[in-house]
Amino acid sequence: MKHVIEVRNLCKEYKSLQAVKDLSFEVREGEILGLLGPNGSGKTTTINCILSLLSFSGGSIRIFGQEMSPDAYHIKREIGVVFQEVAIFDELNVVDNIDYFCGLYIRDKKIRKQYIDDAIRLTGLENYRKFYPKQLSGGLLRRLNIACGIAHKPKVIFLDEPTVAVDPQSRNNILDGIKTLRDQGATIIYTTHYMEEVEILCDRIIILDKGQVLASGTADDLKTLADIEEKVTAKVAGLDAGHLDGIRALNNVDEAAYHQDTLVVKYKTGKNNLADFIDYLKKEDIHYDQIYSERPTLNDVFLKLTGKELRD
Amino acid sequence: MIVFKTFLKVLYKCKMPVILFTVILILFGVMNDSTSDNTASFTASKPDLVIINQDEEEGITKSFIEYISENSNVKHIGNDNEQLDDALFYREVSYIIYIPEHFRSDFLKGENPKITVKSTGDYEANLAEMLVSRYLKAANVYIRELDSEDEVIRQVRETLSKQAQIEITTQIDGAEISRLVVFFNFANYSLLAGGIYVVCLILSSFKDDNIRKRTMISSVNEKQYNRQLLFSNSLFMIFLWALYCILGSVLLGDIMFTVQGLICVLNSLIFSLCCLTISFLIGNLINNKNAINGIINVVALGSSFLCGAFIPMEWLPDSILAVAHFLPSYYYIKTNECLKQIEVFNAATVQPIVINTLVIIIFMIVFITITNVVSRRKRKIG
Repeated sequence: MKHVIEVRNLCKEYKSLQAVKDLSFEVREGEILGLLGPNGSGKTTTINCILSLLSFSGGSIRIFGQEMSPDAYHIKREIGVVFQEVAIFDELNVVDNIDYFCGLYIRDKKIRKQYIDDAIRLTGLENYRKFYPKQLSGGLLRRLNIACGIAHKPKVIFLDEPTVAVDPQSRNNILDGIKTLRDQGATIIYTTHYMEEVEILCDRIIILDKGQVLASGTADDLKTLADIEEKVTAKVAGLDAGHLDGIRALNNVDEAAYHQDTLVVKYKTGKNNLADFIDYLKKEDIHYDQIYSERPTLNDVFLKLTGKELRD
Repeated sequence: MIVFKTFLKVLYKCKMPVILFTVILILFGVMNDSTSDNTASFTASKPDLVIINQDEEEGITKSFIEYISENSNVKHIGNDNEQLDDALFYREVSYIIYIPEHFRSDFLKGENPKITVKSTGDYEANLAEMLVSRYLKAANVYIRELDSEDEVIRQVRETLSKQAQIEITTQIDGAEISRLVVFFNFANYSLLAGGIYVVCLILSSFKDDNIRKRTMISSVNEKQYNRQLLFSNSLFMIFLWALYCILGSVLLGDIMFTVQGLICVLNSLIFSLCCLTISFLIGNLINNKNAINGIINVVALGSSFLCGAFIPMEWLPDSILAVAHFLPSYYYIKTNECLKQIEVFNAATVQPIVINTLVIIIFMIVFITITNVVSRRKRKIG
């Protein structure tokens, strides 16, 4: 598959802070690549470097096989960006805002009008065409922000945490819109610290921490790194140390932790350990309120790799 | 053209504050014109004074009292010294003339008797002193030459009643030119304040950090983008200037269509463009809409006071004028002031105007250069 973006040995420092360390990765044509990492892991810095908004101290960035630079306007023409912060004019309504940002790329009025309609449809803003930003909710503003970034139908789209502080309805709308863009042939680089989103959306994921790539691959590939196959969580009151030792002695148990009435048991292998676990609770006459089993998450992967939670 | 189109849309959205601000500035201009005192004619004012005559009211003494009385407002407060001092203190009168005993006889003997006075020392007192001194000087001259007291009195009165005939040879209507200059001097404030307000208001939207970032990653060349913004803002600035000139034509009439009027119009056009570059620089430096009013006060009001837009330059201390040399407003106002003196337009008389204009153009180049440097620095976000 053709590489649309190639980042090689990228380094970026802010005075004494090494924000990005020897970062290398590539983005394949037509895929959604997720950059996952906690706040301050270097996701936005990496994107800003790729877009030539930031200078960098080492490495190289190539887009469509060409060196990216601040005046590479022919490359920029094919790029769309949706920043974390909403970047729109308060004085313009929805249509005029999209028209302005689309107009920075597309001169032809007729084509632009068509593109604006497409962007409005994609983001579900049909009923808000004449609304001013002050009249829109946070979720609708985010959708407008996305519409402004993608209206000119770019081949490569950068989405930097587009769902931060968004209501569930708008989030679903945004995620559906991103899938549609991918289906239309766009290559998407999606940064977030919401692991659920990357799991649903991304073809490949790169986990970043402290400016370095910790792991990359598909969600399933990455989950194997967690070294567990099943995780059982139960709400249990007044569990003592003896019971905890008993649980740890059960078949396949890798780790059992009890904190604030929540018991988490991780199993190295097997996918049907829940029955054994419930049998044990019944045998020991331990009362439980809620119990569920899940496959390992990307948070478990992150925990395994760094020793800390993704949202720490 | 998308930048220009959006500029107009943002301007339209901000129409209320922009219209209000422009109307206020124009009203200030009208008020300034209607309250400015540019009259060329004058009437002599009469000082309030008291005459305490200790001599007999006859002959030269009588004539002296009559002359003073004709040219002043003589008050009758009495002879009590305390009352007279109070009248001076509370400025009921400005001058008290004590005519001594035997004034007439001593004067006729040529002994030049002393007239005692009390004065507040103000403008009216000076006027009264001038009247006294004028009469006595004339009388002293004639008393040496003539023997008859009546003849002396007649000659003195005749001399003092003579009015100088002054023929004004200049073709300039001084009062009208002064009005023109005062009007265009005030434009220094209106153009600067109007320019900074509108340009900064609109640029604060275009130069918002997030919008700027989005523009920077677009395929629009940054220089082209800045040029389009400058062009859009310059159209508004020219509109403001034209509005001010139309107002000038309505208020000032024919004088606007003389050479002096034309020079004022051209000078204000160049200054408007300079205001645009200043506003553009400020708009690039600030991101906060709330700071605009403060900046207008500092830049527009400050330079207007320092450079003599409100107070004539000749009244300003040298130290302030020395500072004013570093501001374009100084050269703009200086050109306007030059017009008061120029009667014939030739290379020599127009030279200072040309120099002032060149200085303003240099200021414009400097401001554009600084704006480019600021803009380039702001491009780096980390």
